[in-house]
Amino acid sequence: MKKAYIDNQSFEIVDGETILSFIRRNREKQLVPTLCDAPNLDPFGSCRVCSVEVALSEHGPVKTMASCHTPVAEGQYIYTSTESVKALRKNIIELVLTDHPLDCLTCEVNGNCELQTVAAQVGIRNVRYPNGDNHLSKDKDLSHPYMTSDFSKCINCYRCVRACDEVQGQFVLSMAGRGFDSHIVKGIDQSFMDSDCVSCGACAQACPTSAISDVFQSKSIEATEITRTICTYCGVGCNLDVATKNNEILSITAPYDAEVNQGHTCLKGRYAFKFYNHPERLNAPMIKRNGVFEKVSWDEALDYVASKFQYFKEEFGPDSLAGVSSSRCTNEENYLMQKFFRAVIQTNNIDGCARVCHSPTALGMQRTFGTGAATNSIEDLKHTNCIMVIGANPTDAHPVTGAKLKQFAMKSDHVSIVIDPRRTELAKYATYHLALRPGTNVAVLNMMMYYIISEGYVDAQFVDQRTEGYEAFKKEILNIDLDHLEAVSGVNRKLVKEAALAYASAPNAMSFHGLGVTEHSQGTFTVMQIADLALLTGNIGRPGVGVNPLRGQNNVQGSADMGVQPHQGAGYLDITNENVNKKYNEFYGVSVPQHIGYKIPEMFDAALSGKLKALWIIGEDLVQTDPNTQKVIRALEATDLVIVQELFMTETAKYADVIFPGSSFLEKSGTFTNGERRVQAVRQVVPPVEGTRPDGQIIVDMMNKMGYPQPDYTPEGMLEEISQIVPFFAGIRWDRLGKNGLQWPVAEDGTDTKILHTAEFKRGKGYFEYNPWVETKELTAHSKEYPYILTTNRELEHYNCGAMTRRTANEQILSDDYLLIHPEDADAYFIKEGDYVCLESPRGKVDIKARVTDEVKKGVLSTTFHFPEIMINNLTGDVHDSEAMCPEYKVVAVRIRKSKGKYKEVMK
Amino acid sequence: MSDNLSELLGKKGIGGSLFDKMGKLSREDGGSPSEAQLTALAEEFLVGKANTFGTATFYDFLKPENKGKKVYVCNGSACLCAGTQDTVLESLQQEFKHDEIGHMTCLGRCHENSAFHYQGKNYSGKAIHGLDEIIKSQKNQYQDAYQVRASGAAILTKPFTQIDAYYTPFKKALQASPEAVLEEIKTSNLRGRGGAGFPMGLKLEFCRKAENDTKFVICNADEGDPGAYSDRYLLEARPHSVLFGMLVAGYLVKANYGILYIRAEYPESVTIVQDAIDQLREHGLIGVDIEGSGFNFDIKIIQAQGSYICGEETALINSIEGQRPEVRVRPPYPAQKGLFNKPTVVNNVETLAALHYILEHGGLAWKQIGTEKSSGTKLVSLDSYFNAPGIYEVEMGTPLSTVIYDLGKGFKKEVKALHIGGPLGGIVPLSKIGDLTLDFESFSKEGFLLGHASVVSIPSNFSMMRYIEHLFDFAAYESCGKCFPCRLGTKRGHELTSKALESDYKIDRTLFNDLLSTLEQGSLCAHGGGIPLPIRNALTYFEGELKAYFN
Repeated sequence: MKKAYIDNQSFEIVDGETILSFIRRNREKQLVPTLCDAPNLDPFGSCRVCSVEVALSEHGPVKTMASCHTPVAEGQYIYTSTESVKALRKNIIELVLTDHPLDCLTCEVNGNCELQTVAAQVGIRNVRYPNGDNHLSKDKDLSHPYMTSDFSKCINCYRCVRACDEVQGQFVLSMAGRGFDSHIVKGIDQSFMDSDCVSCGACAQACPTSAISDVFQSKSIEATEITRTICTYCGVGCNLDVATKNNEILSITAPYDAEVNQGHTCLKGRYAFKFYNHPERLNAPMIKRNGVFEKVSWDEALDYVASKFQYFKEEFGPDSLAGVSSSRCTNEENYLMQKFFRAVIQTNNIDGCARVCHSPTALGMQRTFGTGAATNSIEDLKHTNCIMVIGANPTDAHPVTGAKLKQFAMKSDHVSIVIDPRRTELAKYATYHLALRPGTNVAVLNMMMYYIISEGYVDAQFVDQRTEGYEAFKKEILNIDLDHLEAVSGVNRKLVKEAALAYASAPNAMSFHGLGVTEHSQGTFTVMQIADLALLTGNIGRPGVGVNPLRGQNNVQGSADMGVQPHQGAGYLDITNENVNKKYNEFYGVSVPQHIGYKIPEMFDAALSGKLKALWIIGEDLVQTDPNTQKVIRALEATDLVIVQELFMTETAKYADVIFPGSSFLEKSGTFTNGERRVQAVRQVVPPVEGTRPDGQIIVDMMNKMGYPQPDYTPEGMLEEISQIVPFFAGIRWDRLGKNGLQWPVAEDGTDTKILHTAEFKRGKGYFEYNPWVETKELTAHSKEYPYILTTNRELEHYNCGAMTRRTANEQILSDDYLLIHPEDADAYFIKEGDYVCLESPRGKVDIKARVTDEVKKGVLSTTFHFPEIMINNLTGDVHDSEAMCPEYKVVAVRIRKSKGKYKEVMK
Repeated sequence: MSDNLSELLGKKGIGGSLFDKMGKLSREDGGSPSEAQLTALAEEFLVGKANTFGTATFYDFLKPENKGKKVYVCNGSACLCAGTQDTVLESLQQEFKHDEIGHMTCLGRCHENSAFHYQGKNYSGKAIHGLDEIIKSQKNQYQDAYQVRASGAAILTKPFTQIDAYYTPFKKALQASPEAVLEEIKTSNLRGRGGAGFPMGLKLEFCRKAENDTKFVICNADEGDPGAYSDRYLLEARPHSVLFGMLVAGYLVKANYGILYIRAEYPESVTIVQDAIDQLREHGLIGVDIEGSGFNFDIKIIQAQGSYICGEETALINSIEGQRPEVRVRPPYPAQKGLFNKPTVVNNVETLAALHYILEHGGLAWKQIGTEKSSGTKLVSLDSYFNAPGIYEVEMGTPLSTVIYDLGKGFKKEVKALHIGGPLGGIVPLSKIGDLTLDFESFSKEGFLLGHASVVSIPSNFSMMRYIEHLFDFAAYESCGKCFPCRLGTKRGHELTSKALESDYKIDRTLFNDLLSTLEQGSLCAHGGGIPLPIRNALTYFEGELKAYFN
């Protein structure tokens, strides 16, 4: 046992730790004060306040050393509080105070300022230096809707600069000038608003004073309560500390001890919360009468819907009703929603937004591995040598994971492969960017597997021991027509080969994929290929490898886990299976039908053919976000009773007959399951806005109204019930979730699972299946008249339909959808930056502003659907994944022209 | 400082260095890259605009304020003590606008002063009287001149003969086992001449043992110490000694690239060394598979842009990368993680120049020169107060009095102290000369510092308080600003001393002592940590003169 001494008391040392961490691990945290040290940043050594004296023998000659960056060594005698170091610390702080305003009482961080704390700790009473040069008259920067700076308070600790670099990887901040004149700048001495800041807030959280802060004054001590909960936006599942006072939310920060996000989050998680009590919140149930919504009591609304449901069920059969549950809601709520339809209505017509995003992932991975979920965890990035990111733009869509991937890609000894039609932010840093034509994922992945097999890079032992179907697969792969696939994908075969061999030869390689994989006519096949690539190279079942879908919505993993899909019930059990059916029947106490229900697109078809009478939609804006808007609208209009449970009057809610006002994640408790199967506790922060109810309680109320006894909604009660029916939730209990949740499967004793398929696959052996590339019908049918390919993407600032983010100041940062168009295409149509472009597909047309950029290839256009003013889904069509029916948002045949100048304004 | 920036800036290799590009833009574009150029560079290297801007604003010759500067006056310590610069400035002001005149800190013309820099060339001595002509013809008729002499063995000052013959020991080394060559260097006990005196053999060994496909050898030719011009002498008069050392170091540590980081204040050095590199290429002594040995090595000059701190090795590494040249924490040491996060050995010009002798004559031969702990010879630069200013090569352990009186032939005017070893070296009163021998140990024992062994004379009529103020001014101006004690302490020190000089303000002794201790104990590097030494020397030996400024 190696030992060193702190103030003559011996403690065991850990290899590689610094003196500071050694002291903090063994003694009280405040024993040695620090200013430039931060929990999530590398040691930097600028403030020197952490200096200690180190001797090689007891009371031997000492050397003063900064403890934060000096490694502890065996036999060192560390003296933390000698008169000499105490004087040094005091003298340094005195120097700091010669250039710091002494206005603590009116400062926003009074009581939570690290400088103030350290100054008090070292016992500063006065500043002896005469007045000299200072930075006290520096101007404040209030240009940004969230970020603020007041560099008169800056102590030059560089924590903001380092956070922007080491955590977010954005490099917006730097020191400029030198010596006493050195000062923090944003960009080329710009304001926050004019800089390239992505408003993640890492700098504000890192700043020990109020030199950088935010409009919510997140470091003030005004709040009386802090509640730890989980972010409602993407599938990363950031932990958030929400500060409140008198039941009002003041600000949000990210806890450093969160395994998911380690003190980091993005502008949505940290700042986009003001929607929760926005004046436009729906705050009473409403029934549409004569085309006008009338506010009614909860009882009236529930009775109205219950009696209508009862009527439709009796008159037209249970299958005349359908439900769309919400991945924004908790596991418990999703469980209840599917239970309502299966046990109360007795239909399997229950589906969710996974249909339009990751249904091919669940299906494809189930086919190859047996389990439709990420095999590994994001923390495995620490153990990998290679990342392959396909059809995902995580720096916008999954910002915290995106930042980690970007950090990975910046290192020169790491390999990163990006397969994406767009030159995404990650692609810029990647070793290989395979900029394929949209719709040719299968072509490129088959080429990659061709090279891995033909060049002898297959992990034969893994393939032999843990897979099946390889020989037939190999035969097919070796027969592919490389010339043809190279031509259609537009990716040079040499590049494909290099990338393939880099993936195959990396000791550990991880893949990540997003909707650019799934939202295609061959989405499921692509997922299976990604899984096959992992099988082929043995990248499964240990740290730093695996297939890791970047799940879109906060709880899209959970909603599918809970049975929000028409072919599998809670726990992915096959509802057509006799034994499963028996199990459900016994558990729910009713007879659940055994035939598969409608998927969302089938619900629309059923509505249009008159078979669907009632549709209950929770938290999903089908009109704005599902493809072929006009068809969706017609389907809703054709449905006799549409119930929309929502926070806001969305485009879909406008077509409702009854509105149930639900509540946001901040107003209820439950669990969300993130993209790495981590079930985390969502804790109520404030009571539901008056007039609204937690969504789970609304479902329970409906169940009871319809005669099915269900206790009131509580996370404890619901998890108890779920653990009895969902096998991989067996050990999940509310009180076991702790700070960082549990990754399923969770055994009954509470043991969770970080890595799947370590010894064997859920289905036994990994399954190889060859599927050839096939051109999408969208292009074979329409590309002559509509020669451009429109693909869709997401922007950092907004979430999906934008119902929430557009009701926050994010709207001031990005206030429009816009169209990415290659300069040559723009030139051909005399389109300039900011001009309106008319996009027309076989389904409809829209006008949208152009952003001219070579981030897209010639012939490819890209845009978002965050704004109802544009409604880009008027263009998208009915082509969908052949297996999972996920719509093909990523390939839309369009033609373009410069708009006739209906809106002639120049883009900001 | 930033791992990420080191990685990103390293992706283009040393050939496409951001810092080099900035320097070129600045030279082509009137003294500072434009915002558009900084933005384009940021995009090219995938770093932030703040990074390119932050870097540019650090350097005297890249910062926006430098735009339009046409001529620079030397404000180094020797020129200051010589009192020549007011006249130089007056003369320049007749030809140039106020905004067109900048400062450079030490052009290495300490032997004749009156130094200034115009259009890529340095001038000193009588040149200022021919300013008209210089502006018109741009020809330098005023070649500076100084003594070069060895008191004993002429090793570093030994005349250069001919390239093939000179590089024979290197060619032999290529055939020998690198371990054996390294052993010779270890045997020689050659210690770094940059100031810290770290054994070179050990440094090479650490770097050799570091596992990496890419390694670098850096020659620190950023001789920023006012008063020192011995590296300039080697670069300009013995360039092959330096290049030889780099080749050997590269071979021993298994590096493929050597970088000479030469200060912008030495434009002639850049030209001369580049010519020497070209000669090496012609002779097949750099490039691929040198002499059929399988050793690949190339050498590139990076021209500095005006910052004293870049002489600190980690700041120098950051500088070459194009980061802000702020000092890095150690460990990791450059030998483990240096340029672009790759193992790197950084050596001073004079240290590298010593390798030729060691390879030719063996480590023991070098070891036998000098003292037990300070082996070999050392170059000393003497300033213009000496009757015989110049560069003297002396064996370590030579009495300081021999250097001052026998070699330098004493002083032209009355001098009260010598500032030896650069601004962070000690102030040696004349009375202490007899107690010192020229080696690391003697200086250290007596409370001084050998440093780079430059000697600046402080004349008797020069106010010691003014000199302290000058040192604080220099230290504050050149502080990188990273650590709190140095950034704030040097500034406050300058303010206190200025105030005491310019008014009847008396400095509180306790406060002043606390300030010096804070700098010494707390600073991240030797810049802030070293500046108290000469000031404490002054307080000790010139108490009588200084007490009026304190209470």
